[in-house]
Amino acid sequence: MSEQDNEAFETRSRALFHDSVEGLDMRIRSRLTRARSAALEAAQQRRFWWSGWKVWTPAAGVTAAGILGVVLWIGSPVGHQSGTLADAQTSFEDLDLVASSDESSTDAIDMLQDDIDFYSFADKATNSGPAA
Amino acid sequence: MARFDTLNTAWTVWDNPAPAPEGAVLEYSRELEKFLAEIERRAFRMAQVALRDPDDALDVVQDAMLKLTRNYAARPSPEWRPLFYRILENGIRDMQRRRTVRKRVMTWLPGPKEDPDNEAQDPLENVADSAPAIPERLMQAEAMEHLEESLRALPARQREAFMLRNFEGMDVAETASAMACSEGSVKTHYSRAVHALRAQLGEVW
Repeated sequence: MSEQDNEAFETRSRALFHDSVEGLDMRIRSRLTRARSAALEAAQQRRFWWSGWKVWTPAAGVTAAGILGVVLWIGSPVGHQSGTLADAQTSFEDLDLVASSDESSTDAIDMLQDDIDFYSFADKATNSGPAA
Repeated sequence: MARFDTLNTAWTVWDNPAPAPEGAVLEYSRELEKFLAEIERRAFRMAQVALRDPDDALDVVQDAMLKLTRNYAARPSPEWRPLFYRILENGIRDMQRRRTVRKRVMTWLPGPKEDPDNEAQDPLENVADSAPAIPERLMQAEAMEHLEESLRALPARQREAFMLRNFEGMDVAETASAMACSEGSVKTHYSRAVHALRAQLGEVW
C-alpha cells in the first residue's frame, strides 16, 4: 500500500463523512439544536448559582461570626458567673457600708476633738471635789 | 489586588463592582454556543458510527455537551475540542458497556413492550427529506455504510484515532490530548486503522 493510495483513501473517506454530515435529516438537526440549548441553559443556571457566592459569602460570614460570639459568651467564665454578679454588687455595698462606718467613727473622733474643752472641764470638775 | 488609599475608597469599590465581567460572560457563552453548533453534527455522526443507533448517539452527544458546558466552559477555548471528544468517547464506551450488560440481563427477562405513543413525538420526524435520491448519492451512501461497518469492526482506539484525525481534522497533538495518550500512540493507532480499513474495503472501494 503506497503513501499516495493512503492519502487518496483518507481524502475519500473524509469527503464521504462530510457528505453524510451535510445529509443529516431535519429531525436530527432539530434535536441537536435542542440539546445544545439545554446544555447552554444548564451552564448559565450553574454560573448564576456560583456567581451568588459574592453575596452569600459575606452574609454567611457575618452570621457565623454572630453565632460564634454567642457561643463563646455562653461558654465563657463571665457568662457562667453572670448569676453571681448580684452577689458581687452586694459585697461592694457591704464594703461601702464598712467604709461608711469607718467614716462615722472618724466623725466621732472629730466630734470628740470638737468637744475636748467640755471633757477637760468635766474632768477638772470631777477631780476638784464638791465645790460647796 | 487593588490598593486603596482610604477605607471609604475601598467600600465604594466594593459596593459598585465594575460591569465588565457580565459582558465577558455573555461573550464567553456566545463563543461556547458557536463552538457547539460548529461541532455537534460531526460529533453526532461519529457517535452514530460507533453506536449505530441514532437515539443512543444523540444521548451521548447531549451528555457530552452538558458535561463540557458545566465542567470545562471556563477553560481556554482551544482546549474545548479535545476535551469534548474525550468526554464523547467516554460516553460512547459507557453506552457500549451498558448495552452489553443490558443484553446479558435481557436474555433472562421477557422482551420490552414497544410503546406506540413513543413514535413520532417530534413533528419534524415525519418531514420528508428534500434531497433527491439520485444514483450518485445512493452510491455514496452505500460507500459510507461500508466504511461505517469497517470502522465498527476496528479496535476502539484505532477507530477513535482515525475519526479524530481524518473526520474531525485534528492534528496529532490535539488527538493525543483527546485520547489521553502520547503522540506516538496516536500515530500508531492511526496507521494501523488506515491499513486495516484499506484491507477491509479494498474490494468494495
